[in-house]
Amino acid sequence: MTVAGVHSTPQGAVPARSPATSAAGLGYMAWLYLVSRRVPAALGLIAATAAVLAAALHWRWSIAGGPAAQQFIPLTLEAASAAIVAVTAYGPFGETERATGRWLPYLRLAVVLALTAAAVGALAAAAAAGDLPGGALAMLRNVAGLTGTGLLPAAAVSGAFGWAGPLAYLLIAEGAFAGSWTTPWMWPTRPPHDLGGALCAAAVFAAGVTLITMRGGRDHRAG
Amino acid sequence: MTAATAAPVRHAPGGARAVPLTAARLLRIELRRNAMPWILPLIAVLFWFDSYRPSTSQPPFWILRTFWNMGQGHTIIDFGPFVAGVAAWMGSRDGRRGMADMVTGTARPRWVAQLATWGATAIWAVVAYLAFVGIMFAVYAHQGLLGSPPWWWVAVGAAAVTTFSAAGFALGVCFPSRFAAALAAFGGFLLMMLSSQTGFSHTSGWAQILPTNSNGNFQLDSGVLYPYLPDLPIARIMFFAGLTVATVGLLGLPARAGGPWLRRTAAVIAVAGLAAAGTAVGLADTARLSARGMDISALHDAASDRPTPYTPVCDHAAGVPVCLNPAYRRWLPDVTAALRPVLTESAGLPGAPTRTTQIGATYSSGDGAVPGPGLTLSGRPPVLGIPLGALNLPGAFGSTAAELTQQLQVLFVHAFVIPGAGSGTPGQLAVQAALLQGAGIPLKAQPSALTDYGLPSWARATQHALTNGRQSANGVGPVTGPVYAAAQRLTGLPPVSLHAWLAAHLTALRAGQITLAQLP
Repeated sequence: MTVAGVHSTPQGAVPARSPATSAAGLGYMAWLYLVSRRVPAALGLIAATAAVLAAALHWRWSIAGGPAAQQFIPLTLEAASAAIVAVTAYGPFGETERATGRWLPYLRLAVVLALTAAAVGALAAAAAAGDLPGGALAMLRNVAGLTGTGLLPAAAVSGAFGWAGPLAYLLIAEGAFAGSWTTPWMWPTRPPHDLGGALCAAAVFAAGVTLITMRGGRDHRAG
Repeated sequence: MTAATAAPVRHAPGGARAVPLTAARLLRIELRRNAMPWILPLIAVLFWFDSYRPSTSQPPFWILRTFWNMGQGHTIIDFGPFVAGVAAWMGSRDGRRGMADMVTGTARPRWVAQLATWGATAIWAVVAYLAFVGIMFAVYAHQGLLGSPPWWWVAVGAAAVTTFSAAGFALGVCFPSRFAAALAAFGGFLLMMLSSQTGFSHTSGWAQILPTNSNGNFQLDSGVLYPYLPDLPIARIMFFAGLTVATVGLLGLPARAGGPWLRRTAAVIAVAGLAAAGTAVGLADTARLSARGMDISALHDAASDRPTPYTPVCDHAAGVPVCLNPAYRRWLPDVTAALRPVLTESAGLPGAPTRTTQIGATYSSGDGAVPGPGLTLSGRPPVLGIPLGALNLPGAFGSTAAELTQQLQVLFVHAFVIPGAGSGTPGQLAVQAALLQGAGIPLKAQPSALTDYGLPSWARATQHALTNGRQSANGVGPVTGPVYAAAQRLTGLPPVSLHAWLAAHLTALRAGQITLAQLP
């Protein structure tokens, strides 16, 4: 007899209980996912970034120069937080996990949203230590958009390179500040209540979240 | 006890001849498996956007086109953080994959294997840097840029990229996490931006070692009238090489890196690297501003001071030959047109120039060249010297041909009427204002013309005299006061009368012996 011939459970056998059907099982699976994505470490680094922002605002670390220079430290820390969120998209299990984990899209979505919210919350709390250029609204827009710029390369190239998107965007934004660009795609250069900048940042964030939810961080062998 | 701490002392298997071959194989594998190529397309885009694109608006001189990307180190800003990030990813590889103990037990010492990984990463990064800069320079050469390329700054960039790779790799080894790459990249970016900011505010001292500091070391006419001074780039290369060697040496210090002999060697290398970096900072601290850049006496080669020989190109303005370096040929019509009215006014007067020649721009301590004392009028017969490279060349940093004309006329009349670098007496200032009106700059427009970027410090005092110290909402006050009134009297005279008066009194006027009341 081969397994192909088995169509029913033998009499007396105890039906196997899927771990994912119980709340405890779901919680355990979620915890394993969080650990595999190094979410606790990411939360620690986000908190550290927020602490640096609080220190920068409290002690008024400033860089001489125009608007780019004034926004430089907060924007770099916002981009660093976004990069940390994007790097969590990297998964070490690749195909195996993809083939067996039907809850993966939900977990990816939940983790990205929760970490982005945590980053915004931590940076907003840090902003209470001083005068954040543009205020909390601009920070929310910047972090969301920058996270999107990290999730896109994470999905397209590798989660390991999720940091490269926010860093590249930061470099271009510095050039945009210097060149007085007004395109809404360079949302850090726009005022906090600017609708165009907010929509562009939201669109990039939505695109990044959608891609990472559906595909996850892409694997690649190098390194 | 783990395998890491109990690493045995190893001897190279198969004799000494096998070592280079094995190392080469290891390096080849690491080159093939390296993550650096994945980031290069992104760096290429950023390199084009941030290093090449802003340079295209500058006039076709190597020193101007490369001011932003080489002088202010933007090629390093575009490369360094990304290289550091990828190097950290490579450095953290064994730790991230939980293989640190396993690879410690392999035939080759851990430090040697790490050197192969770092070496492959650095090779990718430096070759890419040189390739991108090479392509950019080839495009510049195709565009027919004048002068010569700043090769020393390319070497500084390659050294800096190597250091970023070593620092990132070391961070990855010490912090084997997926976040190491992000930390290294953003840390590198923050360092580079702080380096830029420190560079903007520090015109001398230790901060000259920073690769983004262009103060006093990257100005016209380097590569055109005289060679680039290599003193500071040599110190910077020594600094980066020292940091790289020290970082690589530090990787060999832990117990699992290798045997005692290897670790002692690593310690010596680390100390030597730190000493080299410290010496370089000390050398940069001794840098003194000379007419042609930063001069470090311990590194200075007298051959660098020799001017570049050239055959001038000439034209005439009011009968006076005007000669420039052939690299500045395209501005010869602008210069002759600008000088024609003032040379016409000065013709026949005592001390009027019989010839005009180009002189090298004198380096200033700031970020850009300024004329310093301005145009020079010296010799018998008098020769007018124009530091054209220090003036507002049309197209350079947004300047226009009209600004160059105005600047040349203001500088000429000042040099003709007021000897030395002082701002002049009220009598001299009134005559200066009258001559400028005769050249085409109306009295009312002169306070504004004196605010042009690049004019020496006396321009502000002259502006103050013409406006009697008054200011308006835009900063420049209306013309008023005794100097203005005297200048108005002079401009009311027929040109022949003014010329005759100047012929008789110019020597006394230059000596500061003519008061406002003595003016006609």
